[in-house]
Amino acid sequence: MDFLSGIHATASALNAEKIRMDVVAQNIANAHTTRDTDGKAYQRKVVTFESLLGPESGVRVAEIGNDFTAGELVYNPQHPHADKDGMVQMPNVRLAMEMVDLLSASRAYEANLSVARNARQMAAKALAIGR
Amino acid sequence: MIEQLFSSTNYQATRQLLDAATLRHEALATNIANLETPGYKRVDLPKTFAQEFAGRLRAGELKSAPAPQLVEDATRSSVREDGNNVELDRELLALGKNATEYDTLTEFVSGSIKQLRLAITGRNT
Repeated sequence: MDFLSGIHATASALNAEKIRMDVVAQNIANAHTTRDTDGKAYQRKVVTFESLLGPESGVRVAEIGNDFTAGELVYNPQHPHADKDGMVQMPNVRLAMEMVDLLSASRAYEANLSVARNARQMAAKALAIGR
Repeated sequence: MIEQLFSSTNYQATRQLLDAATLRHEALATNIANLETPGYKRVDLPKTFAQEFAGRLRAGELKSAPAPQLVEDATRSSVREDGNNVELDRELLALGKNATEYDTLTEFVSGSIKQLRLAITGRNT
C-alpha cells in the first residue's frame, strides 16, 4: 500500500493530461503548416488513452495518432505550395476544437490535482493520530 | 493489558474502516485518472461492503473479515458515447466525503489514545 493512496493513478493521469496539452499546443502551432515532413499538409495529432489495472493502476497514453480527415482547400495561386489549379491544401486543424480539447485537458488536470491534495490531507491526518 | 486496549471492537472496526477509506480513495483516484479513457468502467468498494461490515460488527466477527477488494461498478450506466461511466462531479464529491470520513476516524483513534494517555499520566496533554 502506498503512503499516499492512489498516487500512482493520479501521477499517471497528470502525466497523460500534460502530454495531451503538449499535443494540442503542437496542433495549434501547426495550424497553418502546409508542408509536413511527408510533404503533405500537416495532419492534426490525436492522443488516445488506455487504462492500466493492477498495483500500478492508472492511465497511460496508448498512441498519438493522426486525424486523417481532409483539411480545407483554399484558392491562393500566390502560395508557393499551390497546385497547378492554384489550390492550397490547408491542415485539418480547427482552432475551436483544439481550444475545447485544451480546456477539457486542463480541467481534468485540475481534478487530478485535487485528488492529490486530498490524499496529502488524509496522510497528514493519519500522521496526526494520537496528537 | 495494553494488548487488550488495542484489540477492542471499536479499535478493530476503526482500523478496518480506515483501510477501507484508503482503498476507496485509491478507487476514486483511478476513476478520475481515467476520466477520458474510452470504455473505462469505474471501480469502487463492493456495494455490499457497508452492510457486510455492519453484520460482522454485530456478530463480533471483525477479526475474521477479509480485506475488501475493488470491483467494477457496472450498475452506473454510461451516458457517454465512448462507454466510459465516470462522472467527474460525483467522483469529486465522493472524494470529499471519503476524506471527511477518514478525518472522523482518525479523530476517533486520536481521542481514544488521548484518553489512554490521560489515564496513564493523569495530565491532559
